[in-house]
This record gives sequence, C-alpha cells and structure tokens, in this order.
Amino acid sequence: MHIRWHVVAIVGLSAVLRIGTCHAQEVAGHVPEQNRQAQQAPSSAGSSEPSATAWWLPGDGKTLAALAPYRNAFGSVGVLNAQGPVVTAGHPFFEPIGRNGRACVSCHQPANGMSVSVEMIRRRWDETQGKDPLFAPVDGMDCPYLPPADPESHSLLLERGLFRIFLPWPPKAADGTDIDPEFTLEVVRDPTGCNTHPEYGLRSANPMVSVYRRPRPVANLRYVTHQGFGVFSFIGKNGLPASRDPETGLPSAMNLLSDARQPTLKTQAVEAAVTHLQFDGKLDDERLQRIVDFERQIYVAQIRQSVAGDLMEPGGPPGLGVRNVSTGRDGLLGNNITNYVVPLGDEWKHLPDSADGRNRMRESISRGQDVFMFRTFWIRDAMHLNTVGLGNPTKRTCATCHGMHMMGMDVANGWMDIGTTNLPWAREEPLNPWNARKTKLPLFKITCKANVPPHPFLGRVFYTQDPGRALISGKCNDVGTIVMQQMRGLSARAPYFSNGSAGTLRELVDFYDRRFNIGYTDQEREDLINFLSAL
Amino acid sequence: MSRFASSLFMMFGASVSLAATPATDSRVSFVSCPIVRDTSSVPCWLAEYEGVLYFLTLQTDVSAPVNPPWLGHKVLVEGVVSGEADICGGRVLKPVTLSVMQELDGSCNTMLPAEDRYNLTFEPPRPPGPSRGRLAFGNPMPAGAPAAESAARNFTLQYEYDGMVAFRHAQTLQRILETARASHATEIRITGFRSASRLSNGSVMRERKSIAQERAEQIRALLQGAGLDGVRYALQVKDLSKRPNGSEDAARRRAEVEIVSPN
Repeated sequence: MHIRWHVVAIVGLSAVLRIGTCHAQEVAGHVPEQNRQAQQAPSSAGSSEPSATAWWLPGDGKTLAALAPYRNAFGSVGVLNAQGPVVTAGHPFFEPIGRNGRACVSCHQPANGMSVSVEMIRRRWDETQGKDPLFAPVDGMDCPYLPPADPESHSLLLERGLFRIFLPWPPKAADGTDIDPEFTLEVVRDPTGCNTHPEYGLRSANPMVSVYRRPRPVANLRYVTHQGFGVFSFIGKNGLPASRDPETGLPSAMNLLSDARQPTLKTQAVEAAVTHLQFDGKLDDERLQRIVDFERQIYVAQIRQSVAGDLMEPGGPPGLGVRNVSTGRDGLLGNNITNYVVPLGDEWKHLPDSADGRNRMRESISRGQDVFMFRTFWIRDAMHLNTVGLGNPTKRTCATCHGMHMMGMDVANGWMDIGTTNLPWAREEPLNPWNARKTKLPLFKITCKANVPPHPFLGRVFYTQDPGRALISGKCNDVGTIVMQQMRGLSARAPYFSNGSAGTLRELVDFYDRRFNIGYTDQEREDLINFLSAL
Repeated sequence: MSRFASSLFMMFGASVSLAATPATDSRVSFVSCPIVRDTSSVPCWLAEYEGVLYFLTLQTDVSAPVNPPWLGHKVLVEGVVSGEADICGGRVLKPVTLSVMQELDGSCNTMLPAEDRYNLTFEPPRPPGPSRGRLAFGNPMPAGAPAAESAARNFTLQYEYDGMVAFRHAQTLQRILETARASHATEIRITGFRSASRLSNGSVMRERKSIAQERAEQIRALLQGAGLDGVRYALQVKDLSKRPNGSEDAARRRAEVEIVSPN
C-alpha cells in the first residue's frame, strides 16, 4: 500500500510518519513538512554524462570492492567493506530511488571518503554542464526557484560544497507538535533568497528555514552510533532527555547529523530519501535494512600518506589505516593515555633519516599527535564545553572535545558552539570598498526571549549563519551548536566544518588558532596538519 | 594520588553536606567576579571579597564536586573559611558552593599568569590534558544497584542559584529513571524548593518566585521525555526563601524525588 503524505495529514494521524510493513518506523516530526517542500521543488532527473574515473553514478551497477583505494592530495583514502565486495546493482544505497535521479551515493562518494568534496562537485559540474542530479534544485541549488542552468544558482554547492537543509519553523517535536522556541529568528541577510521566498521561506504556507551544510561521511558508523561511554537517557551536556530509537527505545548517541535531529541510521535514511532524493512514498523495511546494513559495515581512513608511505603496513601504528579502524573498539573515551584518541605507539617517534623523507614525515605525524593530545590552550566561551563543569576558560587540549577513540569526535552527545556559525567568530567576507565578493550564507538575528536566561557567552541578542541544534531543540543556548564531525578520511573530503568554511586542513587548523589564541608555532601547525592528513 | 590530592577530593566532596555545617563567623557569602590563575599544571579559581582573596576550586573535569565558575559572569560564593594552607595565594573555602550568575558581566575578565610562588604543591586530581585513565564518570547505575531498597528511592537534585537542570543532573536523573523502572514505580513524588541566600554584607538574594514550581515541573517533563510513562506524578512546592540563615541556603536550592512502588 502506497501511503501518500498528504493523506497522512488529512486523516489527522498526526505528523508522525509511519513507514514499513512489519515494524512501524516513526520519523521525527519535522519530516512531513520537509516532504511537502521537497515535492514542491522541481526535480531535474537529467541525463548523466559518463563519469570521471572516481565518480560513482547512481544505478551503474558496479561492484564496490572489499578494499577500494582512491587517490587524494595527501595520498590515498581506503574504503573498506567489512562484509566483502558490495554488489550495488539493485542496492537501495546506490539506486536512484527518488524522482530527481540521485542515489545516496551521489553525495556519499567512495572516492571522497563517503562524503563529497567541493573539488569533485566542481568537476562534476564541468563534466555535465550542471545536469548531474547532484545539482537538483531541491537542495543542490541555493534555492529551488533559481534558474537551474546558471552556476550562480548553485554557488554554495560549487564554492563550499554545501547542500540546502530545510527545516520547519517553529521546530517540531517527535510527535509532530510545534515546539515553542526560546528565541525569535529574524532574517537579516538572505543572499540566496530562500528564507524570504514566498514559496520556500519562513513566511510561506509551509514555513521553513534554509541553512547550508556539508554531507557527513557515511562510514565508520559503528563508532558514530555507539551505545558505550557517555550515552544515557539524559544528555550529559544539559540533563535533557536524549532522543531514542523508536524501535528499541534505547537512547541515541545523537551524533549522526550536525544538529542531531535523527536518532538512528534508519530514521536518517528516511529523511534523506525525502529531502535529498525527493522520494515520495514508503521506504519498505527491506530497503531500509539493506541501507543500514551497508552503512554499518563500511569503513574509511587514509591508507597511504604521500610522503610517509603505507599506513597499513604490518607493525605500523595501531590507530592508522582503514583495517585498524574496522577492528577498533567503539564507545571508548580516548582522551587519556591508556587508550589515546588515535593510538600511534612509539614506532614513529625517533627514526633514522631516509632519503625520500618518509621517516621525517612519520616523525612529524607522530609529533602532530602529541600536539593534538598534549598541547594545552585556553578554551573559552564555547557553549556545551565550558558550561559542562570545566569552567570558562578551561586549559585543555584538542583531545578534550575530540575524545572518541579512533574517530576524534565527541564520545558523548556532541554538539557545541566553537564559533563556526555564530558571529563574531564565523567566517564572513570583509566588507570594504575594495572587496567585490559577497557572503553567500544567510544571517539570522537571534533574540532570546525574556523568560529564559540569555545565552551564556553571546547574550540575549546575537547573530548566526546557522542556528544548528537550536533549529531542532528551540533552545537559546543551542544556537550555533554543531555536532562534532569524525576525523577520518579528512584528506578526501575538503572543505571542513558543517558550513565548509575551512577550505583546507591549514585553514581548519588556523581557525582554531585564531579562535582560541593558541599561538601554534610553524612546526606545531605543520605537524598537526600532517597528523590530520594521515587519518 | 597524593595525600594532598586526596584531601582536596574530600574537601570538594564535603560540599554536599553544607547543611550540616553550623553557621559560624568563618562563613562567607558574596557575589563577585571569579579570577582564574594559571599554574604550571591546571588553573585554579579564586575570588576576592573585602580585600581577601579566596581559593574556590581547581580545574578538574565534569565529575568534580565543585565545578569552576565562568569568566564573563559573576559568581555567588557560599563557603566556609578553612584553616588549611592557602592554595594559589587564596584562603581556602571548605566546603564551598558556587553559582554562576546568569547575566553576562564583561568586567569579570581577570586571568592571572602562572607564578612559581603560586604553583600547586600537590598533584591535582587530573592534569590539564588527557587523564591517566581515570574516567570522569562511569555507568551512573552500576549493575544491580536498583535493588528495591527504600533508601535508594529518594533522590535530591541540588541547584545553582536560580538554576534549573544542567549537565550535573544527568546521572541523578538516570538513576531515578532506572530505579523507577526496576521497582515498577506507580508514583513519582516531586518536591521543588525555592531558596534565598543571605550574603555576608547582610543583603538577601531570593530566587525567582516561580522556581520551585518550575523545578518540579521540569523534572516531571524530563522523566516523561525519557519514557517514564504510566506512573502518577505528584508535584508539590516549598518556599524556603523567607528566612535565609547563611548556612543552609545553598542546600535548600533543591528538588526531592521519591519513587513509590508496590513492593
């Protein structure tokens, strides 16, 4: 039976969508509204030109090897399928199941560590003159109303690798009811026109906020969805209830998406099909399970560093290479000297010179790990970090927040605000008579209501490019908080941060240096970048 | 862990028994800007009142019984001056309770550099970087813990001044949830309290009028949000803000939860 969304609404079954035939699958309360807008946007199931070697076309039926290496600027990334080669013909992750011709693989490319780099996006635009389904109006354009053939209509995707995420405003609770937000949201800059658009914006019949975010890697998800250290029924950062798996009732680690809006791989797949593939219907249990099974067995990590060489050689560092990642322990805190976040051992600490520079690079990577683990600096005014018992400021290291063993993301529920989207720290174009570039991201004025405390570090009125978790929770102190990202496969998937504001690993490190006044030496910076490039 | 560090732990741990400490002249309650002083290890937190510098706490981790305050905000300090040797140049308050004031105050911005004379003379509970393996927290409900003992069915949540549920309450709420489930609770009785604080200068700070009700309702909402349905919730409030005495004020900022079950 084909359940139509509008039928669900008409018969008043609440805004909770149930899919599947054997096990009812609840989907977060905001998805029905998203579906209405997704179906409203035009689709562009245009023909796809033959792909570049690394581009994975939806539905092309190739087999994904058990271990597939892909070159990148720092060496090679490896994609490992723990269950062996994956026959993609007919596989719902690889088939274009929606009406715009995309599959999950469109934005989760093996060559890009199961995300998609802006370099790849630009190449795909050139190869297809923008006709690849990747550029579908629903979210591959700055806003669906724009002319699709104009690259300017896709500026955020082409410049920063950002896809449009549209979420109902006010936020919806899991049962589909409105959440009364603790703050008001005012659009003060709308370069894409989407937030003020009469059909797609906040004042449309289906009020929606548009923000722009990078696709997160679909790999190493056994770690990301762990049920180990720090995952309880109440969130360790604020004491509020954690979201739960609608099938098992177990609390979620809430680390899947940048705003933690979906608790499980299944519910995420349902939303992604609706919003990104413009799939209008019912993903049956069998297809959902195949997607989830695939996602839980795929691992990504750098397997060769262009100077340091093979990262998977026998006896090498236990924290490097995709095979080690595939066998590591999940749910483990690594911010200690018994587990380490990325255990490297001592093998690379003191090596003899080698003519090809290999050993010097290996020593640099090892020093970079020391910078990551032990180089202290003052972390200040970071919501959900300084507010959780450490004090403001706190003298700590990178590993304080990036503490998950093998992944370098937060081992507990991981959203915090380090300033990637909130002003004054978020990247903005300098405004002066000599700069013709304009910021493409929207800007929102946030005013925390009088009946709640002001934001602890930004006060009652502040500005953001993306309210992040607050678009789901409605909490004033969640504005601009973003779920931390895993650190694997970084070399394959620039740019970085949820809004793509760091174009390179150097820019990523420099952001932290500026934000927290770290004062890295050139050597520390180089070592840290080399370390990150080897993950 | 050194003897000094053990002593420090005991000092912090004792803060929860503030109500049992008799009021004496050595008690101080004041609102001022916190000061952070760097050391060769973890920073320490201080505050000045009437020309005296007091030591409040050290940076530790989320498990610390006393969590450091925040620059950018004033802090309400309620503590007892101990006779112990100064730490980081400040007279030690033991026990001490700290409440970060919610409004921002840009004048609270003092960071002092490390000086050899103020370096710690003991090993802190954890260094400023990775720990040596001690976890900040474990399973909040060890296996077998919810055995139906009446003593385990009463829980207290302590709050900062004008505060609601925060990170430090997650584990207590988890224990309440698991105990209620394990004991097949039929009723959850929640009492929210409002308190006031008498400061050393004689003035009185009273929590907002509605806070007792808000605290009780929030706990109910959180337990329901975590899936504790099918039980009766009985809420009541108590206003203890009329006669602050300067010694029990912090302990009165609380909510009590009683789990009622058939056995």
